[in-house]
Amino acid sequence: MLTPMLGEMSGSIHVGLAGLGSAIGVGLVGMKASEAVGRNPGAFGKVIVLAVLGMALAEAIVFYAIFLVH
Amino acid sequence: MLVTWIVASGVILFARFATRKIQEVPSGAQNFWEWLVEGLYGFLESIIGPGLVKKTFWFFATIFIFILATNWFGLVPGVGTIGWGVQGEHGFEVTRPLLRGGNADLNMTFAMAMIFFTCWMVWALQFSGVKGSFLHIFGPKGDSTGVIKYLMIVVFFAVGFLEMLSIAFRPISLSFRLYGNIFAGENLLEAMSNMVQHPAWAKVVFGALLPVPFYFMELLVGFIQAMVFMLLTSVFTALICTHEEEAGEVHH
Repeated sequence: MLTPMLGEMSGSIHVGLAGLGSAIGVGLVGMKASEAVGRNPGAFGKVIVLAVLGMALAEAIVFYAIFLVH
Repeated sequence: MLVTWIVASGVILFARFATRKIQEVPSGAQNFWEWLVEGLYGFLESIIGPGLVKKTFWFFATIFIFILATNWFGLVPGVGTIGWGVQGEHGFEVTRPLLRGGNADLNMTFAMAMIFFTCWMVWALQFSGVKGSFLHIFGPKGDSTGVIKYLMIVVFFAVGFLEMLSIAFRPISLSFRLYGNIFAGENLLEAMSNMVQHPAWAKVVFGALLPVPFYFMELLVGFIQAMVFMLLTSVFTALICTHEEEAGEVHH
């Protein structure tokens, strides 16, 4: 029963892969940001600015995949 | 487009109202505006340096306040749900809303990104001139002597083309990021509202309760996307308006 279901994957696998990469990227940025704040709690302001910037850049890739489908 | 005019006139009227009689020690609405403007100025000064921020602060602060106001205005109940429509099988379906979220339209975000691109080019040319900008993109950086120097010139010339491609792509990326976030947020809220269909009483009750946590998330996302747009545009400006000689002055 699994084989025909796998066989009929249709169309949007590139969106799935883009979402996978984007989510992993955002998670990595968050992981390193929390580690940095844990090591140096006073740097919270600077770290959060860089973290938000990195997350937004990593997340933008999935929007290209979603909205640039022909 | 109507939403853009409403938001812009709302922000301008609020600012005018707050500064009707400027007092030495501010309070109330004037205090709010002063806090916002000073906070943004200090924040940007730490990122792009004092000289550049004097010239360009007007753009970044305006874009932040405007995008934030437009994003949050799209969350007001009634935007996107009141309008002209047709009578479908499941009741009345709105097909042409009266007011929509302003940034949920690619035209709007692309227009803002294009305005940034124009200002960016003007500032780059003002900062280094035509020859300076050309050297900034294509010229060799760092010092190297002898044969390596000629090799580096070739390498940096090729890298310059990649950099031009990256520069051309940045406005597209900016516009898609903002559009995707806000449009996806609107879709998410609508999907959450329409999730429970069958018992009529549950549809009304859960249709109003389920989106509530997502409304909070959309508030946060609206704020973050406005801040990210401002940060990215300011960082791009700082990158293209750097003096090359300062890197060599550190050694003595």
